[in-house]
Amino acid sequence: MLPGLAVLVFSLVVPLGFSVYYSLTDWDGLGAYQHVGLDNYRAILTDDPVFWRSLRNVLLLLAATVFLQNPIAFALAALLSRLSARASRLLRTVYFVPAVLSLVIVAKLWVDVFNPTFGILNKLLRAVGLDALAVSWLSNPHTSLAAVIWIILWQGFGWALLFYYAALMTVPRDLEEAARIDGAGRLATYRHVIIPYLAPMIATVIVIDVISSMKQMELIYLTTQGGPGQLTQFLGVYLYQKAFVTSEYGYGNALSVLFVVVSAGLTLLVHRGMRVISR
Amino acid sequence: MTDRGTPRATGRRAGLAVLHVGLVLFALMQLFPLLWVFLCSLQKSGDLFGNDLIRVPTDPQWSNYARAWTNGQFVRYGLNSFIVVTASTAVSTVLSFCMGYAIARMRWRGKRLALGAILMGMVVPIHATLLPNFLWYSYFGLIDTRLGLIIPYVAFTLSFNTLVYAGHFRNLPAALEEAALLDGASWPRILWSVVAPLATPATVTVAVMTFLTNWNEFIMANTYLASDDLRTLPFSIIRFQGQYRSDYAAQFACMVLVAVPALALYLYFSKHIMAGATAGAVKE
Repeated sequence: MLPGLAVLVFSLVVPLGFSVYYSLTDWDGLGAYQHVGLDNYRAILTDDPVFWRSLRNVLLLLAATVFLQNPIAFALAALLSRLSARASRLLRTVYFVPAVLSLVIVAKLWVDVFNPTFGILNKLLRAVGLDALAVSWLSNPHTSLAAVIWIILWQGFGWALLFYYAALMTVPRDLEEAARIDGAGRLATYRHVIIPYLAPMIATVIVIDVISSMKQMELIYLTTQGGPGQLTQFLGVYLYQKAFVTSEYGYGNALSVLFVVVSAGLTLLVHRGMRVISR
Repeated sequence: MTDRGTPRATGRRAGLAVLHVGLVLFALMQLFPLLWVFLCSLQKSGDLFGNDLIRVPTDPQWSNYARAWTNGQFVRYGLNSFIVVTASTAVSTVLSFCMGYAIARMRWRGKRLALGAILMGMVVPIHATLLPNFLWYSYFGLIDTRLGLIIPYVAFTLSFNTLVYAGHFRNLPAALEEAALLDGASWPRILWSVVAPLATPATVTVAVMTFLTNWNEFIMANTYLASDDLRTLPFSIIRFQGQYRSDYAAQFACMVLVAVPALALYLYFSKHIMAGATAGAVKE
């Protein structure tokens, strides 16, 4: 137990303490620095549109996850639970494949699919005569954010499906039978019996969605780097660039601290909210 | 099925057929980009820019793979990955086994605090720790060393693994351990020869998932490693974005090569991985 905790403390707790300390300075990574109090935080919160845009993008991603990806995953999971064991296992294995690939591969893969000249997407669009839609998806300001969110949803789809499938497996058979006997159709059974029964588990999946939306960084960093013009900026990427590209260690640490606070706060908030709703 | 043949049933069956088509379409959507990458990996670079939607390679260019292998530094990066990932997987598995046991079976002071730290490990994004850890590890000279990658790889898989183990232990009866304790066996002995064999399914899940996670990990390796000698496998793909930028076909081949070990591991252990992926979530 102790060595395990020691590793956690060494790599998580102490560094975050560090972060708090340096976030109160104007250190640029070299030499002397001054204590500037809460100036970094004030600057971020009142005078940094990129921070707010990053936060907004995270929330957009979360909304897309909860309202687009999850319902589809739930519907497919419900269908899978009615297939034969073999077919269902095969399909689940297929759906989860993107989730076991390195994010570096996933990112490069979609950069290639979206590539304006040799990418398959634009070739496809041109083949069906939709030349006007064949844009350079990741660098066009109108499409870049949607394209990035699409990549993240695609990669995470297998997880959502798996969570809902596992949840559906816990529904007792008699519950469904009883609803059927009472004359409920299939959709009505889901709406009035199964979904309310699964509410606590659905709430858990949504909390996991919050955590994983906050944690998205690599797929953006490796595709758009937050561009064009900071349009696809996410907290993780922004922080990374401040820290390791422009070496604003003080500011970067303040961003780190805020990032942790926002992550933990939002998770807690959604967790509480979900508990109230699902009761 | 008494209403077979009535218009309503036919309608319902048609609806079901549509849904099944949807299932297969989604499966295609998840796989198609990968198949496309594979097809591209066998073409000549110049042919990739043609107008054909999909070219089935009549003359597969396996030499792309040879170039990907050498220019992508596969042997060196692969070996680095293997060392770092194996070490971190072993350590993380052993530590989380002990922690999971302590949480599920023992009462001790500070348990609440420890649970808080574990939960924090689940919620805090790795990216928020990159900068402070970079500074902190520098003090110990851990930047640009294998150990400096192994430590965070252990730390950030520990929380999830501990919860998987704890969940598993809660479902195990304690009778066997109590019997062993009464026979006068020591704790390490009980853990090793009584508890560990019972925990094998959880151990397989934990080990495979940790291995995969760290095998695929990029951003920490990108941050904490500076020298080319230590880099891990995902950097093979990154390499092609610099020096060998124009060798498109080999880039595709390189992606396939990097994907294959992870895919093979996944297909072989898919049952354990899928069980483990949901273990944490559903039991909460």
